Parts: sequence; C-alpha cells; structure tokens
Amino acid sequence: MFVSDFRKEFYELVQSQRVLLFVASDVDALCACKILQALFQCDHVQYTLVPVSGWQELETAFLEHKEQFRYFILINCGANVDLLDILQPDEETIFFVCDTHRPVNVVNVYNDTQIKLLIKQDDDLEVPAYDDIFRDEEEDEDLSGSEDVDGSEPSEKRTRLEEEIVERTLKRRQRREWEARRRDILFDYEQYEHYGTSSAMVMFDLAWIMSKDLNDMLWWAIVGLTDQWVHDKITQMKYVTDVGILQRHVSRHNHRNEDEENTLSVDCTRISFEYDLRLVLYQHWSLHESLCNTSYTAARFKLWSVHGQKRLQEFLADMGLPLKQVKQKFQSMDMSLKENLQEIIEESANKFGSTPAFRYQHPFLPFTSLLWVYTFFMPSFHCLSCFRSNLDKLYLGLELAKKQLQAIQQTIASCLCTNLVISQGPFLYCSLMEGTPDVMLFSKPASLSLLSRHLLKSFVCSTKNRRCKLLPLVMAAPLSVEQGTVTVVGIPPETDGSDRKNFFGRAFEKAAESTSSRTLHNHFDLSVIELKAEDRSKFLDALVSLLS
Amino acid sequence: MFCEKAVELIRELHRAPDGQLPAFNEDGIRQVLEEMKALYEQNQSDVYDRLLRIRALRWEYGSILPSTIQFHMSAEEMEWFNHYKKSLATYMRSLGGDEGLDITQDMKPPKSLYIEVRCLKDYGEFEVDDGTSILLKKNSQHFLPRWKCEQLIRQGVLEHVLS
Repeated sequence: MFVSDFRKEFYELVQSQRVLLFVASDVDALCACKILQALFQCDHVQYTLVPVSGWQELETAFLEHKEQFRYFILINCGANVDLLDILQPDEETIFFVCDTHRPVNVVNVYNDTQIKLLIKQDDDLEVPAYDDIFRDEEEDEDLSGSEDVDGSEPSEKRTRLEEEIVERTLKRRQRREWEARRRDILFDYEQYEHYGTSSAMVMFDLAWIMSKDLNDMLWWAIVGLTDQWVHDKITQMKYVTDVGILQRHVSRHNHRNEDEENTLSVDCTRISFEYDLRLVLYQHWSLHESLCNTSYTAARFKLWSVHGQKRLQEFLADMGLPLKQVKQKFQSMDMSLKENLQEIIEESANKFGSTPAFRYQHPFLPFTSLLWVYTFFMPSFHCLSCFRSNLDKLYLGLELAKKQLQAIQQTIASCLCTNLVISQGPFLYCSLMEGTPDVMLFSKPASLSLLSRHLLKSFVCSTKNRRCKLLPLVMAAPLSVEQGTVTVVGIPPETDGSDRKNFFGRAFEKAAESTSSRTLHNHFDLSVIELKAEDRSKFLDALVSLLS
Repeated sequence: MFCEKAVELIRELHRAPDGQLPAFNEDGIRQVLEEMKALYEQNQSDVYDRLLRIRALRWEYGSILPSTIQFHMSAEEMEWFNHYKKSLATYMRSLGGDEGLDITQDMKPPKSLYIEVRCLKDYGEFEVDDGTSILLKKNSQHFLPRWKCEQLIRQGVLEHVLS
C-alpha cells in the first residue's frame, strides 16, 4: 500500500525500532540513504546498513538478517517485483520501499499489511483498479451451491437444473472474459519500464515535513536528482519541474547571502542556483577535453572522425578561443575568456544549450552539481560527505570519472569506425568483443548503460538512414570469461520528447522464456540481464521476431 | 658473564686439599652476593611489569579475561588479578551515588550516545538491548549505542565511522 503520511505511518513507526536498510548501488539511492541516515542519527534510531548491487545479494543478506529485524527499508529496489514472493518473509516482517523503479508491482500496491510504499502518488502511476485484477475465489464456489430441494415436483426440478446449467455457463464465460481483460490490463501496465521521482528528493521531503532538513541534505537531494537526469532516467520536463521545487528550498536555506547585514560567514557552505554549461566536468578539466568527452558535443561534431576533429577546431576558432588556452586546465584559462564563456558559446551554437544547475560552494573550491564523479565512484558514503574532509577521495573520483569518460568516447569511436552497430530490424545491435580495450570496465550494468546511451546518440548523428535513427539499441558486453556470460542492456530510442519508457525488460523475459535461454535477471533494472554467451544467437532471433 | 665469580670461588675451594679451609675471600663473596641481588631485582621488575600488563588487560577486556590469556598466567598472578578486580569494583561502587560508576567505559570523552560503526571482520551474532541480536559481518555498517560498541572497537572488530 501507498503510505500517505510519511511521518506517522513510516518515521514514527521505525523510530523506536531497529531497522535494516537495503540500499541499491546507484547514486540516487546513496543520496537518499545519506539523508535517512542523518535523520536516524539525529533521533538515535539504531540501524544496520547493507549495500546491495543485485537480487542475489539482497536475497542472501535478507536470509542472514531476517531473524534479527522486523522492519526493513529498501531504497531503489523492490518496487517493481512481487517482493513477498521473492523474499518469503515471516508474517511479522514489514517492508518500507522507497524506489524509483516503475511500474510498481500490483501485489505491492494492494498488499495492506506487509508492504508500505514510500512513493508519492502524484507521480503518474496509473495503477489498475483492484477489481480488474484481483477476484475473490469464493465467488466461483457459489456455482456448485444449489442442493436438491425436497418435496418438489420432478418437472420443477428439471427446469431448475437447466437454469443452473445456464447460469453456470454464463458465469464461466464471464470469468474467461474477465481473465482476458486482466491479462491485457496487466500487459499494458507492465510493458514499459520507467522511473519516478528521485528517492533522495522523497527523503528530503520527509526531512522537511519534520522540519529537520539541512543544507547538506538539500545538496544530497540535488545530487540524487542530477543523477537521474545524467542517466536519462527522467524527461527534461520532469527534471525542470523538480529543479524548480529544489530551487525554492535552496532560496529558503541560502537567502542570507543577499542581505548585507546578515551574511553567512565565509566558512559556511552555500548552495547557489544558476544556469551552467552542459559540458561535463569542464571546471575540473580543460575545455577541450570537456568538449571531446561530453556526449552531446562528441556526437554533434562527430569527433570519432578526422573531419569531426577539424570541425571542432573551426568552431573554437570561430568563437575566438585560442587552442592553447582551450587545451590547458580550465582554472588556468584567461579570466576574460572564462567569464564570458557561456555567452561566447551560446552565440556560436544555437543548440548548445545551457541547463539549469546547482553549484555547491565550498569555502575554498566551487563545484558544480553536474558531478559525474558520483556516477563512477563506486559506492562510497564517504564521498558524499567529503566536501569538508577527504578532498583526496573527491579528486581521485574526478580522475576516475575522466578516465571512464575517455574510455567511453574511445570505445564509441572504434564501434562507429568499424561499423559494429548493425540493424537487426526492430532494433540496433552492438556487441563488444573480448579483447576490446577497457571492455571489463563495461561489464558493470551502470557503465554499459551509459556507454550504450552515448553510443546511440553518436550513432544517430552518424547515420544517414532515417529509419535507423528511430530505433532502440541492444548492447552486449562480456561479463565473465570463465562462466561464459555476457551482460545485455536495452536502451529506448533517441528521440526528442522521448518519454524514456523502456520495453526491453518484458521483451527480454519473453525472449528468454521462448528459447529456454539461460538468463539471470539479477539487476534491479529489468532491462539489464546476464546471458550465457552460447544462447546469444537464439535469444536475439527470438527478440527480433518478438519485436517485429 | 653471570656466575663467573661464583664459579671461580667454588673452584678455589675445590682446588684446596681435602679438609683445608682457604682464606675467606671476602671480596669474591661480596661480588657474588651483589650479582645475586642484581639478578633478583631484575626478576622482580620483570614480574612487576607483568602485573602492570595484567592490570591493563582488566581495562581492555573487562572483568573476564579470555582463556588464552589466563593460560599464560601463573596461579599467583591470577590471585593478584582477582584482588585488583575487587579493589577496582569497590572503588567504582563508591563513586557516583547509589549505583556506582563504571569508569572502564568511555575512555575518551564521548561526543554522542550513538555511533556509526563499520565491521572489519566477521564476528557473528552480537546481542543488543532488547534481547535480539545483530549479525556483524565484514563490511556491514551499523548505528549502535556507543557503550555497546566500545569493547569491540578496542578489540579491532568494529571501526568508528566518522561522517
């Protein structure tokens, strides 16, 4: 069931108990967890924290801990599957699920006792009505109710019997029709996977309701939202709407800057809101590197080709930015160039949009919120608090992020130059071979998804085939050589105004079933699976015929 | 070289023909006695050092020592340890009003009642206040009352996570 009063029905319940937190390994989950941890620490709620990267880990950890806890909180996992069926908990156990995965499984929605969904209901959920999918079994037993009535005429008995038969047949037909409708309704509901409001924002909202929100928590909420945006999980419109919501909180927390008399001391951290360039990590890199490694610019300029590189240089020359300046570290660029950069670029490139973004101002170093570093720096709670202490970890993360981005662009370049992206009819397909440089980097679902999306964007710019531009992409990368498995990821097509809905989850399931391919749906996103390499061809064939 | 002088004296006596008594080697005897005294004092300080260490163990491990350590102690040391335990307990009872004050907790001034800890090794089940237990597995993170964690932190099983 959906929780309506987060404070009474969730927080106050767990406050006096010990809880176990299962946290998925995406950035939004980490941020939500940080906010919740801060609240728990403030109120002395004892908890145990278990990070989980997939269903196997979650199930194992649950079995280990189920005797010791009654309340479990799941962050960014669990909403889109029948949780009770998978985990088989005791009757006393209660799960609080704060998850962005949609659609929410109908069993989770209609279970009143053990599943409590920490999900805002104004997120277009479109859950089917109860009566359309659940039916009391007892209704059907009435069919066999009528007994013989003593003392009645044989002829009367016969007509009554006939009536009964007619009634029974009618009911059976109604039942079949109901079941057919139910299948259709469930199919429509569960067909497309997408994402709802950031869990970090949900947790921040809870903190705010309880008047326990802090600037730090607000920052984490911002990072969580940005993570969704960076990974194309939400539409532009949703991002802008949510940014508006957070901006109001930012003003509320940080307005003291504007009043001359009551300025915050220099030592305090401040969050400010401004429009910023959509160039990845540009403040911590050189402008040139940033242009080469941002998916948008790399795709538009077609930087995998020599011609494309030349175009970039012309573009820079056009804007009056000397190559030498542009190739050095951004911080060392001439002040005059830095200050007017946004205007310069906007003038030269129409579509080179700037995007609303938040800036977190550390006393000594400004950071923008388009922090890809969080995306790549594997789960580390330290990282999120590291603005104050531990700047080394942050810088290490930045370097890792840069390496990953460069690896992505290089892989894209090689895929496009060697025509590895082929059309299978209803979708595009690309498979990374073993031995490709950095291929093990992409065995992780998050990296592979990122690579796939960037590849699709670049491919769309590179191909002249109009039909191909509208196709979704399926991408495979080797996972384990010993076990002979590959990771397969499905990405929705790249269109303006795409609603980011992904049908590959169900499609993969069906294709695997029909060919008895050995697959493992370990990841919380249904559109990512592990597959035995030997089953690859028949799986793909089934997928093609399914989607044609 | 220890005992050289003593051996020399004995040899001297041995060399003298049967029945005769050589001159009383006052110097030699005095040297030997001094050596004996020095050795005795060194032994004493070694024993004393052990006692100091046993005393520290009381603060680290609590009033029950692990069996591996007890194995290394002599009976007298055990007796000394029990006396020390009793003295410490009497003293603690005399502090802080009726109930007494356990001063072996909170070795550093605590900043908060609860702390965040990370488990460094697989420890197994750990009992908490309400009678149930938590599983302390390597790399799991927990938020628990400080006093419960102190012992395990000192033993290196848990690590305080500073946020």
